Amino acid sequence: MIGPIVQWVNTLLFFYYLACNLIYLRLLLAAIKASVNQNRRQKTAWLDRVRRSPLTPPISLLVPAHNEERSIVESVRSLLRLDYPEFEVIVTNDGSKDGTLAQLVEHFQLTQSDYLYLPQIETKAVRGVYLSRTERRLIVLDKEAAGAKSDAINAAMNLASKPYVCVVDADSMLERDGLLRIMAPVVNDPDRVVAAGGIVRVINGSQVKNGSVGDVRLPWGFLEMMQVEEYLRAFLIGREGWNAFNMLLIISGAFGVFRTDLCRQLGGFRRGAIGEDLDLVVRMHRHLREQNQKYRVHFVADPVCWTEVPSTFKSLGNQRARWHNGLAECLWHNRCMLFNSRYGRIGWVAIPYMWLFELIAPALEFLGWVSILVAAVLGLLSDRFFIQFLLFGYVFSTLISMGSVLIEEMTYRRYNNWRDLGRLICFCFLEHFPYRQIHMLWRLRGIWQYLKGKHTWTKIERVGLGKSPKPSVAAG
Amino acid sequence: MPSVSRLLDLMGPAGLIVQALLASLAAVVGLLAFILLRRGVRRLYFWRRDRRVLEARAGWDAIVGGTVSPKTWVLSRMSREIVEGILLDRLEVAPPKEVERLLECLRFSGLLDARVHEARTCRGWRRHKALLALGRMCVPEAIPALTEGLDDANEECRIAATRGLGRLGLPRAAVPILQRLSTGKLEVPSSLLLDALINNCRATPALVLTFLLKSVDTARPLLARVLGEIATPDLDEDLLLLASDESSEVRASAARALACAKPGLAVSILTGLVDDEEWFVRLRAVVALGELEDPRAIPVLLHGLCDRNRQVRIRSACGLSRLKDHLEDIICLALKTQDAYAIQELVSELERSGGIFELVTALGDSRRQAKAEAALLAALRGGCRRILLDLVLNHENWRARGALARLLSRSGDSELPKMMKLFDSPGLPLRKRRVLRWLERQLAPTQSSVSQVVRVVA
Repeated sequence: MIGPIVQWVNTLLFFYYLACNLIYLRLLLAAIKASVNQNRRQKTAWLDRVRRSPLTPPISLLVPAHNEERSIVESVRSLLRLDYPEFEVIVTNDGSKDGTLAQLVEHFQLTQSDYLYLPQIETKAVRGVYLSRTERRLIVLDKEAAGAKSDAINAAMNLASKPYVCVVDADSMLERDGLLRIMAPVVNDPDRVVAAGGIVRVINGSQVKNGSVGDVRLPWGFLEMMQVEEYLRAFLIGREGWNAFNMLLIISGAFGVFRTDLCRQLGGFRRGAIGEDLDLVVRMHRHLREQNQKYRVHFVADPVCWTEVPSTFKSLGNQRARWHNGLAECLWHNRCMLFNSRYGRIGWVAIPYMWLFELIAPALEFLGWVSILVAAVLGLLSDRFFIQFLLFGYVFSTLISMGSVLIEEMTYRRYNNWRDLGRLICFCFLEHFPYRQIHMLWRLRGIWQYLKGKHTWTKIERVGLGKSPKPSVAAG
Repeated sequence: MPSVSRLLDLMGPAGLIVQALLASLAAVVGLLAFILLRRGVRRLYFWRRDRRVLEARAGWDAIVGGTVSPKTWVLSRMSREIVEGILLDRLEVAPPKEVERLLECLRFSGLLDARVHEARTCRGWRRHKALLALGRMCVPEAIPALTEGLDDANEECRIAATRGLGRLGLPRAAVPILQRLSTGKLEVPSSLLLDALINNCRATPALVLTFLLKSVDTARPLLARVLGEIATPDLDEDLLLLASDESSEVRASAARALACAKPGLAVSILTGLVDDEEWFVRLRAVVALGELEDPRAIPVLLHGLCDRNRQVRIRSACGLSRLKDHLEDIICLALKTQDAYAIQELVSELERSGGIFELVTALGDSRRQAKAEAALLAALRGGCRRILLDLVLNHENWRARGALARLLSRSGDSELPKMMKLFDSPGLPLRKRRVLRWLERQLAPTQSSVSQVVRVVA
């Protein structure tokens, strides 16, 4: 009885794996083409046009901060130094228990004010609005903690006075021309582009000087290196690939631009949503498709947001579990879009992909390992085939990772050092065992947390921007 | 029952696995080799390129002056690209006298002709590149080739041609764009068209107006938007006509353009637009009124301050806060409206724009003190308490702190003691606590008498 079941499970998983790899391959090819074209365009003084044009729209930068005393001053300074014609920075101190607000008050000479705060989007109580005596573009909002980033962003959005908002994590750092680059598609087609996302890269290991990344280097830690590979693959292949088909469902919460009026119309980031970035973009698709509007959600791969990634198994595991929990919550919340022709290719391709190849992928992967074990015990497994299949999986995954290194090398080339390139390539071969399996367990934990109804935000331990626990390699 | 692998063997995919494995392996090795080889080749290329750049820069005067024959560098692709790159970069920053020399070099060296030839005969990215280079050259000879680019089937080339024409800054370069636009034959993103037309028609807004008056529906808002950016005071009467246009986008652009018109006429036309049914027309009208910085606009901006749309209120407050010499009157007039949102919006804008900080700083200056005091008292009545108390405690200038404390003590504001309790935390330094105590004492007994002073000021 158990034998045929195992065989059918194995056959199904085989075809599932095949479909998954074919999709990755297609995304890789689309991403290579899009990246090369984008790179050609960038060589033609594109940014200069955005900088000089009187039509470039102003932006409100929304910075949610919760216990960020180590990095908040550096982050805000770096934001205020951005190269963009007109912008304001709104920092929300989301009930921090450390000295986040005190740091801001001290360094930017903040003064409490009676600034008009209209809660168009409902949030937790706002305790005060602070204005800077030295920097007029800065507003700081002090509010009670809600246990979710979305609440802090919504509070800042209530104060935003510009037609576009850009959400930036307080522990992240934008490159000086990041806003110009991310706004290029918006300036180019303001009627259709409703949101644009940039790339997030790992700052661990790099040197930070005066609020900007000086010497870009790879981190030394194994976990951090794994995340470098993951980020490259996710952004340069995943986002770029889906963007090429106009089916982008995620704009990173660490760096994304959205049309303010549309966000407000949707009620801002959904309160209580854990994967608030994914949730907002999915709801945007849903709303605009329901309204039969022509729109575009864009990914731009060259505006860089540097972020510090977790360097311990515990924090990384918590982060990944939270991401997966958020994915489950968002997909369930928008389940009506699944295979619904009203939502076009989003309903028929992008959302089913997220269900099949993202959400339940760890469960199926786990099932695959179990069924292989059972098949081996029952003597149903051909050793030769199993090894061939395992080898194929290994080589194909390496190929996809190498593809992201290729795109990086052909276009953006942030890691100029030969040693860094060598390490990037080496880690393409190393990430499949045991990291991938551990990652699967973290994602399973995320599903479990969702099923148990755990929807709280867990804080990731951080060292502070540019303060890597391990020394970064000196030049040469 | 056969095993799963045998089943797959029967179905075929298992056989494919080996092939797929080998193909993937070959692809990985290929990618690896390509990445390493490419980086090596690029290193060599840039080493050679840097050397040539140094050589070109060392002999730059000879190259531009024609002492070195162009044949020595124009025949090598790398040298040609380097010289062209330096020339084009230099053109953007050079003074007019040098620009003449550089353009002469572009002409006699054949670089201009080569790019014109490429733009006319090549396709795809090569044409794209040539069109952009022609645009950067800023020479009228490029206009015919760039105009042909506007009709290319490839959107990237059309964009490059539009951008190229837009960079020339010549009214002649705007004509082909305007012609195609007015007949609806040009398909490029509207922002590019706007940029190109704004740059080319800055000196001749009448050209845009001519096309605007005879263009089709879809192009009218776009051309009106261009006019909004480049209008000059001599277009007053035409703007009056556009301000009553049936299209709301055109009316909004007319309002934008009126910011550049003669203030007298502009204020009277914009006064009418402040009551427009479309919020964005009203918004553009109050923004334009704010930019005029004319005291005659104060009543209209106060009207905008009470608008039902928040954006209009915000921008009206913004415009009012620019009129720094009239702040006291403005706040008093705003208070008379008894519109809580309007008053709060104005106070918020004064705080945000740094107006309050400037007034507090001005308290330390004997010449500006009286005016600043009156404006601050009015702001206090408008609800500006928290920030003033914060400044009494934390302003960096002790003179300003003292003057502000004295002013608050004389204000007789009944809400201040309540607000002071919020500041009086256990962690407050002794000096600041003493200031609060003093202020409390001063406010308590004299409240009634100072209220009279405030009423007089009001």
